[in-house]
Amino acid sequence: MIQTAQLFITCIVDTLYPEVGESVVRVLRRAGVRVEFPGQQTCCGQPAFNAGLRSEARRMAEYNLRILEATSGPVILPSGSCTAMIRHGYLELFDGDSTWLDKAKALAERTYEFSEFLVDVLAIEDFQARFDGKLTYHASCHLLRDLGVRRQPHELLSAVRNAEIIELPHNDECCGFGGLFSIEHPHISSAMLARKLANIQTTGADLVVSCDAGCITNINGGLHRQGKLPLAVHLAQILDDHEP
Amino acid sequence: MSDAFHKKIKTALGDSQLRAALDANSERRLGAYYRAFQSLPESFAVMRQRAHAMRARTIADLDRYLDEFISNAEDNGLIVHRAADASQAVTIVSDIAQKHGANLIAKSKTMVSEEIGLNHALQAKGINVVETDLGEYIVQLRHEPPAHIITPAVHLNRSQVGHTFEEKLGLPYTEDVPAMTAAVRRVLRQTFLTADIGLSGVNFGVAESGTLCIVTNEGNGRMVTTVPPVHIALMGIERLVPTLDDLALVLALLPRAATGQKTTVYTSLMHAPRQSGDADGPNERHLILLDNGRTAMRGSPLHDALLCIRCGACLNACPVFREIGGHAYVDNRGRSSTYPGPIGSIVSPALFGQSEFGQLARASSLCGACREVCPVDIDLPKLLLRVRAGGIGLDPKLARKKIPFLVSLLMRAYTWLATSPRRFAAAQNVSAIFGSLLLPLSEWVRLPSFTGWGYSRDFPMPARQPFRVRWAALEKSSNLNEFDLKPGDERPTPPKSDMSGGSTSSLAAVDRRQLLEKFITELTALDGTATLCRLDSRSSSRSSQLLEKVLTLLTEKGVESVQLWSGEQLPPDLLSALGESGIRISGSPDPHAQAGITGSLAAIAETGTLVLTSGPGRPLTASLLPDIHIAILYSEDIYLNWSQVLNLKKVREAASAAFITGPSRTSDIEMTLTLGVHGPREVHVFCLVNDELI
Repeated sequence: MIQTAQLFITCIVDTLYPEVGESVVRVLRRAGVRVEFPGQQTCCGQPAFNAGLRSEARRMAEYNLRILEATSGPVILPSGSCTAMIRHGYLELFDGDSTWLDKAKALAERTYEFSEFLVDVLAIEDFQARFDGKLTYHASCHLLRDLGVRRQPHELLSAVRNAEIIELPHNDECCGFGGLFSIEHPHISSAMLARKLANIQTTGADLVVSCDAGCITNINGGLHRQGKLPLAVHLAQILDDHEP
Repeated sequence: MSDAFHKKIKTALGDSQLRAALDANSERRLGAYYRAFQSLPESFAVMRQRAHAMRARTIADLDRYLDEFISNAEDNGLIVHRAADASQAVTIVSDIAQKHGANLIAKSKTMVSEEIGLNHALQAKGINVVETDLGEYIVQLRHEPPAHIITPAVHLNRSQVGHTFEEKLGLPYTEDVPAMTAAVRRVLRQTFLTADIGLSGVNFGVAESGTLCIVTNEGNGRMVTTVPPVHIALMGIERLVPTLDDLALVLALLPRAATGQKTTVYTSLMHAPRQSGDADGPNERHLILLDNGRTAMRGSPLHDALLCIRCGACLNACPVFREIGGHAYVDNRGRSSTYPGPIGSIVSPALFGQSEFGQLARASSLCGACREVCPVDIDLPKLLLRVRAGGIGLDPKLARKKIPFLVSLLMRAYTWLATSPRRFAAAQNVSAIFGSLLLPLSEWVRLPSFTGWGYSRDFPMPARQPFRVRWAALEKSSNLNEFDLKPGDERPTPPKSDMSGGSTSSLAAVDRRQLLEKFITELTALDGTATLCRLDSRSSSRSSQLLEKVLTLLTEKGVESVQLWSGEQLPPDLLSALGESGIRISGSPDPHAQAGITGSLAAIAETGTLVLTSGPGRPLTASLLPDIHIAILYSEDIYLNWSQVLNLKKVREAASAAFITGPSRTSDIEMTLTLGVHGPREVHVFCLVNDELI
């Protein structure tokens, strides 16, 4: 059955990693999904929400609700953290305002993170992808703990041909990104990142797979500063690299 | 923005000794936490939901439960005081001290007393206040606040502690943890015996029975509530549970979450002061119920933080606490926050002021590790976000005060851009053009350190064409024949909770032998010993084997003096057998007794716990002061679980009850386990059994 889904690309992927967005589209299409991209979208509003600026966050949330309300089908985001913002954050922002809260709940119900959508909704784990080398997986915090998505990325990765999956020690520990936290508290954030990079180093993996562009930016930014090769990629990029 | 906070953070991050200690703390505590929750009688997920619901119900109806609690406590004979704020609480304590002409107060660990600055206030009035929890004692000697709500000296290593003891107590320098512990035992034993007042916190108050419950491992909690003539208990009004069954529930969760123990060594239940005829116990028991901002928290956006049972698990799990430790959490003037870590970053602004403490909640990556380990399932990240959004009143003005000016400016500009696709696209364009002009060949920007990001990371260049531009091409290429995968037939099964470890099978059906075996297994796992003694006949409570084996043990241990329960509280002929052996025996509290011999009202198989109640002929000190505790237990008095025993009439009606699980222990110095801090170093249980159980 062909179904239509709305792609919410997120500001980071849009601006910094459009190639991740392209992979997401290709992977979804291969799974039989007709992808639509509501062109007015910008950002989910998480930065303002996490900063504590609720009225700015609410303006962003209202803006997005208006845009997405006019569409139908599941809304898919290639980010655990932005999905969590829509699924949980919006409900918090509109707590006590029943008109907006109802809209937010309706949106929350049809919003999915990319790997969650593939495995839980489409029920596909094997994308016939192929990677010749070692992969390790970093469990992004909001994906893991706010959405409870732990198993799905593992299932998708374990179906990748030729890939050797190496467990990242303490893979569920935060990489230290935390959005604005990383610039307000650079010293703590950097100490956390150092721990993550040291753990990555021990795996000897060729690539670190994540489902969140925030973590990818943080991990690669840290590696590049140390003169090392950026290793973090989005899961969609791995799944997109399939056998002919 | 608080410069004091940033300064503390930098200092902490630069202290490699501190960071090694914090690392060890997190790793040890979390490992023990997960192991301990596997031993729960039912799934962790189910129990924490139940605990959450129970705590939520309590706080929602707190006034009623408080009334019930106070009325029961007063009926039991406690003197109850209510303090609206810190200064009232301090005044109440000093009035009691003055009334009794007290010069020395022995204190067991209470975070509420830290909250109200009690030690300082009393010392200013010339009253000597001595902390008796080993970790708390160490930080008191160093004039430091506790660095962790459960492990006050978590930031120190053994050599720092050794130097502190050398400098402050004149003890010879050593890094031998048991030797240090033994030295402190000797010093503080005098404090317990000579204190005019014992002061403690309260882990839980039970509304239906007016019970005060305190859990400790070292035995100092039992000492200060049993030995001095006056006991003052200090309690936050939110630390209530409605029933004894609810108490059993939180007692299963608190020690596991706090220290990875199934139960602490000592759980004390207190109902009343010493009753006429009782062998020991304080003549007066005061309870001070402190509000200090808690009522204002109720019904506020930070209400749920009142559900906290102060286990400290969120501190151990927090990656930020792990980097900076408890002393880095300070107010805008650099003064320590009583409560550090994730829960402290919510409670401190809520109780002591958003303007003073609101910045703490910004030092979080919102990773959610705290929520994952919280035994009462408090959504800490959600509450941290509410503190950021202005705290107890979600006041945007207060929120803005804590947001760095540039961040605030950036966010407002960003919101303006991001609420219009045209503006947003234009901004993307500008940044891409600007980037490529500035660094035409590079994919990375090296931002300066002051930007925060640039402190340790480079930033990727914005894409020349953002996704929204590339979409046009993608849309055209959409080829419906591309579909080459078919959805699987079956939807995957829902994930199983990782925390559901532990069997749900009930032990309710096990027979007496299994209860006995379980009790012995648990007791011996915690360094107690168990010896079976056959009763002389089915109908008799006498056991010749017991007399023989107890005397053998006393001889082996070289015991010359014993404090013990009265003859009628012990199996027949034991007292006379001891008398004939030439061992000096005493029925009243005896600081010189080497061994204490007691009965045991009941025992709990699940945790290997002995249950002793106060009363005539049953001094609780016999199980507390001597180095060796010998307990005699009839096997039919072994129960399966805590709930059953907490509800026993004899336990509910006793002025005090002590639940004892193995010898006194501490891990306060470098988390090195040491036995025999303030209570006995050895616990020997003699189980009296019928033939069929042997």
